[in-house]
Amino acid sequence: MNKYIKDKRGTDKILSIYWFVILTLIAGGVFAMVYVFYGAPYDVREIESEILAEKIADCISSKGIIDSEFFIDGTFNTKIGENFNEKCNFNFNVEEGYGDTNEVQYFYEVEFYTLEDLANPAFNFYNGNSNWEADCFIKKENDKEYVKLAKCTEKRFYALSGEGNQYLIKILSVIGKSEKNVK
Amino acid sequence: MKKKGTILIENVVFIILNLLFLSVLVLFLVNQGSGAIVLEQTYAKQIAMLVDSAQPVMLIKIDMAKGKKLAEKNGIDFNNVVSISGNLVTVKLSEGKGYTYAFFNDVDAVPYPEEGMYIITINKKEEVVANE
Repeated sequence: MNKYIKDKRGTDKILSIYWFVILTLIAGGVFAMVYVFYGAPYDVREIESEILAEKIADCISSKGIIDSEFFIDGTFNTKIGENFNEKCNFNFNVEEGYGDTNEVQYFYEVEFYTLEDLANPAFNFYNGNSNWEADCFIKKENDKEYVKLAKCTEKRFYALSGEGNQYLIKILSVIGKSEKNVK
Repeated sequence: MKKKGTILIENVVFIILNLLFLSVLVLFLVNQGSGAIVLEQTYAKQIAMLVDSAQPVMLIKIDMAKGKKLAEKNGIDFNNVVSISGNLVTVKLSEGKGYTYAFFNDVDAVPYPEEGMYIITINKKEEVVANE
């Protein structure tokens, strides 16, 4: 019986050494996880592209009526795209850190469809860096490389022209900025 | 009796070491979560998103109590924590460049501090007319 008790005390000490080895391993794991978690930047591109799409929609129509500047003599004003950024107060300059040339990190496309032909747009225009558009049509898997692709938001709504014609308006907004949002 | 006392001390030391370990772990996690680099980025992106969704003649109030505490700890004047130049917002909570993020809404955004908060006024950008 005495011999058994002595053995038990020895086992207790070995157990506590084991315990601290386990704690050290847990600490290492926690440090590694925290480093990975806080080392990765917050990805706000999805929110940003949603805000951009909302702003564009607000700029196109108010209370369901398309802005009169979009039409000239009953047809679409083809020059609206040229000054749409100024009209909507968009500034696509970006801070340093996006490649050597600081290329534009935004893109948007607006398409107007008549209800008679929902396959081909009656009018469309786009602005920004069109290189980002292709990223929206790539099937995104949960892969590190795919995470770096641009974030896109598609918004659709119906609105009336001044003459009462109904249009389906599709907005595609895209945000690049992977350098500041993805590790 | 002597034997029992020895066992008790061993247990106490064991518990103290465990508690010490847990405290260090919790302190590490808290420090990481409120570190200058993380907070600078959080505030800069938060402000950029708020300005993006804002419209002229708006006032945005941002609670920056955590940021103020950290800035004071790092010897940075709270008045200089947030700066907006053009369409770039920079948040600086420690020595260094700070964190800069761009917003696309072309408005006149002016930040000013007020008791642990920052207030950002949003106004329409005025065309600067050069004096002839």
